[in-house]
Amino acid sequence: MPLPKRKTNLSVYKGQELTKRRQELLDKITKSDTFLPDSILHDDLDRGMLDYVNETFVVESEGRRIPVIDKILTIQRWGEFANNWEFSDKDGNMELPFIAIIRRPEVQLGTNPSVQRTIPDRHQIYYASVPTWDGAALGADIYTIPQPIPVDISYDVIIICNKFRDINKFNRKVLQNFASRQDYTTIKGHYIPIILDKVEDNTPMDTLEGRRFYMQNYSFTMLGYLIDSDEFEVKPAINRLFTMFEFVVDTNLKSKKIFNKDNVVQKSTSVADGLQKIFSVGESIGVLFDVLVNGVVQTKNVDYLHVAYTSKIEFIQTSGQPIFPNEGDTVTILYYKGKSNKIAGDNGKILQFTRDEFNYTGDEPVGLDNNPIYTTSYEFTEIITVEINGLSEQENIGYEIYDVTTNDIVVKSIKLLGLPAINSKISIGYLY
Amino acid sequence: MDNKLPITRLSKFISQDDFDINIQMGQEYLHGDINFKLVLYRVDRQKTTVDDVYAEVGMDEIKYFPPMEFNALVKIEEPKNSTYKNGLLRYNEPGNMILSVYIKHLSELGVDIRYGDYVGYPESETRTRYYTVTNDGKVTSDNKHSMWGYKPHYRTITCAPVQDKSFRGV
Repeated sequence: MPLPKRKTNLSVYKGQELTKRRQELLDKITKSDTFLPDSILHDDLDRGMLDYVNETFVVESEGRRIPVIDKILTIQRWGEFANNWEFSDKDGNMELPFIAIIRRPEVQLGTNPSVQRTIPDRHQIYYASVPTWDGAALGADIYTIPQPIPVDISYDVIIICNKFRDINKFNRKVLQNFASRQDYTTIKGHYIPIILDKVEDNTPMDTLEGRRFYMQNYSFTMLGYLIDSDEFEVKPAINRLFTMFEFVVDTNLKSKKIFNKDNVVQKSTSVADGLQKIFSVGESIGVLFDVLVNGVVQTKNVDYLHVAYTSKIEFIQTSGQPIFPNEGDTVTILYYKGKSNKIAGDNGKILQFTRDEFNYTGDEPVGLDNNPIYTTSYEFTEIITVEINGLSEQENIGYEIYDVTTNDIVVKSIKLLGLPAINSKISIGYLY
Repeated sequence: MDNKLPITRLSKFISQDDFDINIQMGQEYLHGDINFKLVLYRVDRQKTTVDDVYAEVGMDEIKYFPPMEFNALVKIEEPKNSTYKNGLLRYNEPGNMILSVYIKHLSELGVDIRYGDYVGYPESETRTRYYTVTNDGKVTSDNKHSMWGYKPHYRTITCAPVQDKSFRGV
């Protein structure tokens, strides 16, 4: 018994089969310069149908291809003639055979179940997050598009010919492609199904004394959808309002930051370089107690600006004047760190900030050294500033905390360590 | 061979001589005075190869007998403005051509015009339009085609126009 013959020269890839697919993939990758899908409107769908018929229904008759009129015919007479002239005879009539595509003018809301009324009211839906780079910061854009609108477009593909074999060939070609009732075409990267509805013969069989021809009508429905690029929205995913870069100039001017032990009142001290008008403490300021330049209290919204819960103080500049503070000035910022104006003490007690104002008359209670003593309205927990005529005093140099005992009750007070001028304004800011 | 039967009806009003002289005068007018000439392309049904299933032939595959010139009274109908599909795909083709031919003339030429034959009619010096016979008018039993009921003397042949590509007169 002979061995069964085996075919050993099977060619899996014959020639150019994969070239088309590779080109298709390349086109898909490079088709546009945006991450958004391509817009599809009525004319795109019509063009897609024309291309589909042109590429799919290739039928030869008498050794040459049956021509397809490569336009959707409309009611404009000159337009129809202009598109048919190359197939025309001396009378201007189209020579048989030929294939024409006629679109029914009405476009119905679609029946494609995959895109049918699932999201109401044309709501914008998330499509993609696209990273962005503006040269300084990495961010992202959110692309949103509304749900595509499904549409059904009906086409009649007509073959008009003189030979029975031509209509046989055309019918075979159509049924081979629509053996599963539907076929697909690709329009701008979108797969669009086409359904064969019916085949009907409109041949004028009863025309005995006239020109005779076969005319068959193939009705197709394209289950397309509309995507309008005008409805696309691109929004930044991360919105940075302000980006600031601080460059430290190598000078001998130093800034330092002193933290109180109780971690309630923070004191940031900087030495101005004559160029800087914005000073930052490097953290959020929950409560701004005072801003001093060389110990002189500055007034908010007059001398400086501060936006609540930000870290910066910006001095207001006078036009034509040198930048304030001047080079070498000491800028002191007293604040409570946080993103809230609620100040919590060590024991968790919520503290409040207030300021008591006194006018030195010379009649105040005095200590053993005859220096005046001031008792605050509330028993203070923390002294923030003591100012005499707007000048800040330092603890143990300009003032000290002094215990006053009355009827065995000890009350903490402030005693100045010197005598101010009569009618001097004494201001004590404190937490209680 | 069919038996010949003498026609004796209307003998008091018309005889074979009267019949012949009327045809002779008509031919003098038709062939001599107005002189409408056409070309007949008779299809050779023996030599033309047809499709086994549909009996169709391809372009330029119809075989013809030698073309023959003949005279006839020509009437061409108005062209029809039509469309293939719902007002689209318009075409405007010439109307049918209706020929009146003396039976005697065809007998003298020794030809017959049959259904499907082609007829060329020179519209101008540069344009010959071709028609195909859609009604060869062989049935001439009606009063119209017989001279006062005596004997048939002409045939009315209806021809439909053909597109240039389907018949080129070669």
